[in-house]
Amino acid sequence: MADRGAWSACFTMMQWLARLKRGFQHIDGLLVGDWLTIALCLGLILLYWPEASLGQAKKCQIRQGGQVIGVYDLDQRRRISVKGPLGVSVVQIQQGKVRFSQAPCHNQYCLQQGWLSHAGEVALCLPNQVSIILLGERGFDSLAY
Amino acid sequence: MQSIQFKITLADRQIAGLTVLAIGLHMIEASFPSPLPGVKPGIANIVVLFVLYRFGFATAASVSLLRVFASGLLFGQLFTPTFFLSLAGAIASLGVLWLAQALPRKAFSAVSVSVLAAMAHIFGQVCLVRLWLIPVPQAWLLLSPLWLTALLFGISNGLMIQALLNQLAPPHQPSTD
Amino acid sequence: MMNRWGWIFSLGLLCSACQAPSTHTEAYVFGTLVEIQIDDAPTAQGQRASNAVLARYQALHRQLHAWQPSELTALNQAISAGQQPFKASPLLRQVLVHAQQLSLQSNGLFNPALGRLIALWGFHQTPYQATIVAPEAVQAVMSQQPSMRALQFSPAGITSNNTAVQLDLGGYAKGFALDEGRAILQSMGIQHALINIGGNVIALGRHHGRPWRVGIQHPRQAGALAALDLPDGWAIGTSGDYQRFYLQDGKRYCHILDPNTGYPAQRSQSATVLIAPQPHAGVLSDVASKPLFIAPKHAALFAQQLGVAAWMIVDAQGHLSLNQAMQARITWLTAVRGQRVLP
Repeated sequence: MADRGAWSACFTMMQWLARLKRGFQHIDGLLVGDWLTIALCLGLILLYWPEASLGQAKKCQIRQGGQVIGVYDLDQRRRISVKGPLGVSVVQIQQGKVRFSQAPCHNQYCLQQGWLSHAGEVALCLPNQVSIILLGERGFDSLAY
Repeated sequence: MQSIQFKITLADRQIAGLTVLAIGLHMIEASFPSPLPGVKPGIANIVVLFVLYRFGFATAASVSLLRVFASGLLFGQLFTPTFFLSLAGAIASLGVLWLAQALPRKAFSAVSVSVLAAMAHIFGQVCLVRLWLIPVPQAWLLLSPLWLTALLFGISNGLMIQALLNQLAPPHQPSTD
Repeated sequence: MMNRWGWIFSLGLLCSACQAPSTHTEAYVFGTLVEIQIDDAPTAQGQRASNAVLARYQALHRQLHAWQPSELTALNQAISAGQQPFKASPLLRQVLVHAQQLSLQSNGLFNPALGRLIALWGFHQTPYQATIVAPEAVQAVMSQQPSMRALQFSPAGITSNNTAVQLDLGGYAKGFALDEGRAILQSMGIQHALINIGGNVIALGRHHGRPWRVGIQHPRQAGALAALDLPDGWAIGTSGDYQRFYLQDGKRYCHILDPNTGYPAQRSQSATVLIAPQPHAGVLSDVASKPLFIAPKHAALFAQQLGVAAWMIVDAQGHLSLNQAMQARITWLTAVRGQRVLP
């Protein structure tokens, strides 16, 4: 069923793509409003861009579905298993960095995010709802000394 | 034996066809590897925007939502986080599309509309991540980088839609009998 | 019903409201770093408010300085010369009445009458210096038993029946300034701010929708030992032997003296107290950490007597003890040894 739907969709799409190729010759270029929109979006992106040059993180916090599993020093060799709705995700810590090393999710995006080591960096496994957040040296607003 | 007969109009067929097309594009896109979650060209949205220009907002909304539910069924992801992410993106971008209809056509081409829809799509998804999937403030860090890719793909998709619209004959009146 | 442009306009408004500015001001007053963070207020208003607070702090500093000419040093001179009663300003009088009451509540372990000893140990100079102190010199002051009990407050002024009393509000003034600063910010329409005076911190409102978060310095390492949320009106203070101290013959001499011996307190590396919202929360965050620092064994008793909500002590061996309320609030940032939780 799904296969037939997919094949017919592919066929239709090929036809459209053929038309599209011809269509490209007729582009009039962007209008004034388009440039305005693009500028506005670029402004938004810059405004919310994460702080540049993040410092080296010392610790990471692991959460599952919003619950804190724990806060771990990155200066150790350790594997932490976290149980989520799909199964067990494994977080690996070594030499000041951390990553997802095993995940039960289908797309395995979390594994592709690789090693994290800077404060403020985040690795997510959306399907299993597991997150790793790298805490900076200052995990607080002010210091009582 | 009783049977209920629906009158299937030309418009219905067109919507069905376009929805199938959107699903097809979505499936093709899903089969390509993506460097990061959330970074996708969103070529299925070409169909939604095209429908918006040719058939109006209501039709575009039904194509978009049908696409989300049908893809969910086909991929076996119905009511999983992935599905809800897709739905949140679709709803947010439909909301912005509805607003974007107010933009004067003389100054704003399909590129603007496509870019705004793509940005809204990402915003809706990140909101869902922040509020439900991973409720930590750091989830907002995803917003800007994903927006950047949305901007680029929004422009390229918009150019394609504009090209399509320019190339096709002026819209005919869909029969409604 | 609102039209489409109406919606677009209100969305724009919503977005601009998300990015309310914050102001961060740092200055050195009371011989220490004063840090004022103000959130969700226009920059001009935030700056005006923090300037008002800093101006007040300069005035307080001049009025309460323990060894540069001030109203306090004038009172000290009057006491040692026996020229009494001393007609003090309402502020100084109010401060001393309160300090006397707190000194009694701490069984004399908070003792702002030990100015003479603090000077003897070399801490009444900028910068302070390592000083060799003869045991006889300490004994000479101790035998006169300077304490807050000696002070009497009458309509005519302040009298002391002990000429050895020399007032030093080092353990009170910073906390008092926290309360004053918070009140000034509030009166100027600021809703969210954090004031940190030399490590004593008070919170006003919240930080971008979540409580203010404060780290607690590790007494022997760079960086924080732990962190906790400081909700609106709460104050936190730490006494430590790592801020104002000198080493002599491998021994550490800190500026907090044990009133029972006349020598620098030796039993703790640091003591931290958390104070619930109340009119003198800032003062308590400053004062209450002293008895806990000096006599860590009786921490629970003094915490109760002084109204401390949560406390934590790192003792001289680096072992940690804390009460359950603190345990429940804290996030550990560094591994700690010998964690002892008391009710």
